[in-house]
Amino acid sequence: MKKILLSALGAFLLSTPALAQDKVFVGHMVDYTGATAFVGTEYGPGVRDAIDFVNANGGIDGTMIEMETVDYAYKIAEAIAHYKRWTSRHGMVAMQGWGTADTEALITFVARDKVPVWSASYSAHLTDPQKLNPNTKKAAPYNFFYGPSYSDGCRAMVQWAADDAKEKGIDNPKFVYTGDNHPYPNAPKKACMEFAEELGFEVLNPVIVPLKPGDFKAQCLTIKEGGAQYAYVGNLGGSVISLLKSCDTVGTDVTYMANIWGGGYKTIEATQTQGYIFPSASPFWEQEAPGMETVREIAALADRDVVADKPTHHYIRGICSAMYMVDAMKYAKANGGITGENIRKGTYATQDWVPEGMEGVCLPSTWTDKDHRGTTRVSINSGSFVDGKVQIEKLRTIVLPRRADWLGQ
Amino acid sequence: MTVSNPRPCGDFRTDYAGDTRLFSDRAHTGGFFCLLALALVVPFVFDGYVVSLMILIGIYGIAALGLNILVGFTGQISLGQAAFFGFGAFSSAWLNTNTGIPVMITILLAGIMTTAVGMIFGIPAARIKGLYLAIATLAAQFILEDFYARAEWFTGGSAGSLAETPELFGFVFDSDQRYYYLVLFWVCVSFLLASNLMRSRDGRAFIAVRDHYLSAEVMGINLTKYRILSFGISSFFAGIGGALMGHYLGYVSAESFTIFFSVLFLAMIIIGGLGSIAGTLLGTAFIVLLPQFMEFLVGLLSGPVPFLLDVQPYIKEMAIGSAIIIFLIFEPEGLIHRWRLIRAYWRLYPFSY
Repeated sequence: MKKILLSALGAFLLSTPALAQDKVFVGHMVDYTGATAFVGTEYGPGVRDAIDFVNANGGIDGTMIEMETVDYAYKIAEAIAHYKRWTSRHGMVAMQGWGTADTEALITFVARDKVPVWSASYSAHLTDPQKLNPNTKKAAPYNFFYGPSYSDGCRAMVQWAADDAKEKGIDNPKFVYTGDNHPYPNAPKKACMEFAEELGFEVLNPVIVPLKPGDFKAQCLTIKEGGAQYAYVGNLGGSVISLLKSCDTVGTDVTYMANIWGGGYKTIEATQTQGYIFPSASPFWEQEAPGMETVREIAALADRDVVADKPTHHYIRGICSAMYMVDAMKYAKANGGITGENIRKGTYATQDWVPEGMEGVCLPSTWTDKDHRGTTRVSINSGSFVDGKVQIEKLRTIVLPRRADWLGQ
Repeated sequence: MTVSNPRPCGDFRTDYAGDTRLFSDRAHTGGFFCLLALALVVPFVFDGYVVSLMILIGIYGIAALGLNILVGFTGQISLGQAAFFGFGAFSSAWLNTNTGIPVMITILLAGIMTTAVGMIFGIPAARIKGLYLAIATLAAQFILEDFYARAEWFTGGSAGSLAETPELFGFVFDSDQRYYYLVLFWVCVSFLLASNLMRSRDGRAFIAVRDHYLSAEVMGINLTKYRILSFGISSFFAGIGGALMGHYLGYVSAESFTIFFSVLFLAMIIIGGLGSIAGTLLGTAFIVLLPQFMEFLVGLLSGPVPFLLDVQPYIKEMAIGSAIIIFLIFEPEGLIHRWRLIRAYWRLYPFSY
């Protein structure tokens, strides 16, 4: 036993898998068991299934994508170790990342190693690749994500709320920001509160709601006493469910507007809430669009049980994230070979870009070497639990201007 | 069961100098330099993956060493080592960005700043012990963690702060291979410092406080002073480790320094061996490599048993948990004890007695 273990340890330290010519390696970091697993288990399979689908259909013009999926459980040390293994042993050309923790920890490394990353962290500071805005802390030249940034998502929510207040005849609308004092809920906080003030809201003091589920009646009483009509929900998963349930008990009369991870089929089903506003950047599973055919094929190929385990818009966004990467890799293959640098050039190649076969699913996006805000178009949805079923209704689409002072903020 | 004195027969100490030597005998000295030589060639032999794991072992090892001085040598308890680790990371980044002091110096200064903070949070140790102290240090963890998310001027708030890449006379530590040597330097300095500390009056005072605080006090050891000093020294190493981590990543995030991380540091020293300098490094290596090794093993076995691949994350998590339990039951003195047994076996071979 000892000998076996020792030789296994030796092999572990020295093993270097050989690279075949017709393959490129892509790392895929997911959180299925960690702090953000609530949505990680929906987004990660989207990426995975999309790549399997691409491989089943000839890969990148004949080159297969070898993707390793690793559940790093939202731990930074694990993320770094895997990243290093992928770059030094597998010659990784691109990466599908996950949350705030791993994305931020790897910004320096991916820029140095020239590995483009498509993350599911939509922090606005990832969108300024050249640090053109003096308020941006750090240039993130190799970071991409599909969808509106957290800040733009929240701005769209505030814009919707301002119009809604006007319609309802609320004279002096009040806005309150809720979320944990944590990098992810805090990411759009400043940008969003500033924009709310710009639109004439009375912005109340933010209410701290922990990311871990719990009893939040105290927070709900604060919201209630503040008299806000509109509350932004910065958290996700269990915490949002707890908040909505607690506030239901307390009896707050507030319209909740969530961030993109905080809203979706599962959250509404669990909370049985009414009129829950949340953004999206893709159609929902039941909706029809030309590209939804591809999405359904992808889910079918992966043998996903779409009735019991209904794919959410997070799943579809995962597919989009993978498909943009695949398209950029195709460009790279045709223009000098699949390397990180060429893939990055590929993302800059097309204006109002929709990946092949994803029409109507992935929003037309444009990345340039000065602006990594792929899209600033935000769909506003309202979700309600009616007669034992979740009903999601699209209210409108808001296209935010690409203001220079919003770049990276 | 314990081999308290694995020294050959007839090897008696005849003077105090001999008794307090850093390396107890020639084999010990030789072993140390052999290991150092091996460590020096690692970047030339192994690829970036192994080097990056070694960097993590080095960085965590320094912080775990601090905790071992506090827990293993002084008999206190701390559940806030990760918070101090973070304080070092933020301090170094903050000093370098705001004052322009070179990173090579701010790493040390960060250690000193963290010492001060550690001593403040160590003050409760003057009055309370055991579980109560554990809870008091838990408060340090929460207070500091919240501070990192709020203190925009110091940490950049939830957006985090940037840490420059260290540079020495134009030589930039911008690759893993180069950074490895910087970490190796600090590992050597830290472990030599700690070993020396344990040979000094202060180090022995720590051990006296741990073994019997009442007797220690009767012998004229100022309990309050030494308990707080121990917190300070422990935080110093945490600060150095944290600063190295911050500059390695180039980015310090407020969400990295969680209670889970603090517990992991405790696991490192328990598995390595409480009250053992060298054991700290063994324990750290164990904790860092275990998940990676488990994953490799699962990958190896998933050919014949594909089911394993689905449960891989659980296996990784459970491996750490069960390792701690197994060590507590079968090897409470840690990996270092196992190593001492192996050493004694070979030294006395073939005539063990």
